[in-house]
Amino acid sequence: MNIFMHELKAYRKSTIIWSLSLIAIIVIFMSMYSSFAEDAEDFKRILENYPEALRNALGFNQENFFTILGFYSFPLSFITLCAAIQAMNLGTSIVSKEVLAKTADFLLTKPFTRNKILTAKLLAAFVSIVMTNVVYFAAASFVALQVKTDDFSLKIFFLLSLTIFFIQLLFLAFGIIISVIVQRIKSVLTVSLATVFVFYFVGMFSDTTGDEVKRYISPFKYFDAAYIIKHSSYEATFLIVGAVIILLAIAASYVVYNKKDIHAV
Amino acid sequence: MNVIEIKNLTKTYGKSRGISDISFNVEQGEIFGFIGPNGAGKSTTIRTLLSLIYPTSGSATIFGKDCIRFAPEIKKEIGYLPSEVFYYDNMKVKELLKYSASFYKKDCSKRIKDLAEIMDLDLNKKIDDLSLGNKKKVGIVQGLLHEPKLIILDEPTSGLDPLMQQKFFELLEEENKKGATILFSSHILSEVQRLCNRVAIIKEGKIITVEKISTLQENNYKKFKIETKYALDKDYFQIGGVNKLEVNNNVISFLFRGNINTVMKKIAEIDIANLWIEEPDLEEIFMHYYEKEA
Repeated sequence: MNIFMHELKAYRKSTIIWSLSLIAIIVIFMSMYSSFAEDAEDFKRILENYPEALRNALGFNQENFFTILGFYSFPLSFITLCAAIQAMNLGTSIVSKEVLAKTADFLLTKPFTRNKILTAKLLAAFVSIVMTNVVYFAAASFVALQVKTDDFSLKIFFLLSLTIFFIQLLFLAFGIIISVIVQRIKSVLTVSLATVFVFYFVGMFSDTTGDEVKRYISPFKYFDAAYIIKHSSYEATFLIVGAVIILLAIAASYVVYNKKDIHAV
Repeated sequence: MNVIEIKNLTKTYGKSRGISDISFNVEQGEIFGFIGPNGAGKSTTIRTLLSLIYPTSGSATIFGKDCIRFAPEIKKEIGYLPSEVFYYDNMKVKELLKYSASFYKKDCSKRIKDLAEIMDLDLNKKIDDLSLGNKKKVGIVQGLLHEPKLIILDEPTSGLDPLMQQKFFELLEEENKKGATILFSSHILSEVQRLCNRVAIIKEGKIITVEKISTLQENNYKKFKIETKYALDKDYFQIGGVNKLEVNNNVISFLFRGNINTVMKKIAEIDIANLWIEEPDLEEIFMHYYEKEA
């Protein structure tokens, strides 16, 4: 419990900053919606001139792009990208923070098992992510309700927003497994930015071809906004694959962390 | 009763040497010295005892329990002070110590206050702003605040000024009197000599000898320096047990090992102006072990 509280406190500042940044992005984007909706017809005509591959990559291909939900899915992919960086940072720093600050000796000579330490840290990161999502969703839905021109399904809006959370969990898990395997990460941010962007671009390329199998490579493509808007649910296979990846990564992290030698600095 | 029992402990890191086949025991209530130069394997041994690293083979028990399997339980009663201390920089000393205390299920607030007073440590400063010596003091308080039964110190005095070092040693002796066992690793022999009852000498990952400090000194030579009134025959002291005989005008010096009476008789027969007989200090014994092995 003490480690959990300590970690939560350590993450407090960054959680607040990340939450506010995400909110700022969504507020800026959504405030453009009303003028955007007015000019919908003109936009449609311009977009038709774009090559299909580009439209796919940018996510402009949905018929419902001009509804508020369709419009929302555009900034959503950008917000997801930012949120993924936050989660990856959290995950990577769980173990490497202690290595970098050379505090691992302090923590690991205390009368706790490594499992207990890792669990407390993991929970603190998890709670930080949950808080970010709660605050974000409250702000995003508030803004959406302010700028809407027609009624929309709040459930679908929630489902869309919740994809941020799922993708964050995936990157949190990636972060942890990397941080326990790599002996010494010099810069947490470099590692997380690189990983997140690689997945993001891989995701963009898989979009241009429309190949279903390639979607499995990038977590950013596990949740298709158009599908969610149409069916008001997620694609089950991708949910399962995502959950399995998270569980495997976390389980492996526990195993590796327990066997790992903590070297002197 | 043995507080620490180390049996054939081996740790190899890839190609480079770690420790090999280390065995020794630390008895309850003693201050046990662990000496050797840098890189001899002192920290590796200690880090294995603390289950920070895992042995390649062999085992160790602390309080009779396997130090890996029962690590969390054992660590309740261990206080550890590493050679370099690092803490969360953005915390205040007080917060850090409170955090440290929260891992042990007892109230340590009074103890923290007392220790900080003895070590002259400002609890309200930020760790970031502390000098190396003051960080070390935080480490000392942190290592002792839960009144551990076993105190493990890994080259603890670096960064402490002589006055603080003195206070720290007094603190350790006091803890020892209250029943704490201490494992004291160092490459500075005078501090080991000052504190410890027994000592293990480690070299290149292997234990060379485990001895009482007093035995180490007894079994060793004595240093003689004699000033005579008149010049003596050069070979007057050339008897069994005498080494490194040097005659410089009226001053004769040599090392002697053996029955002290034989030398004393020889000295009694001559007219001397002055006489010095010295115990070799640990440094010399230590060098002796290292030279012999090399």
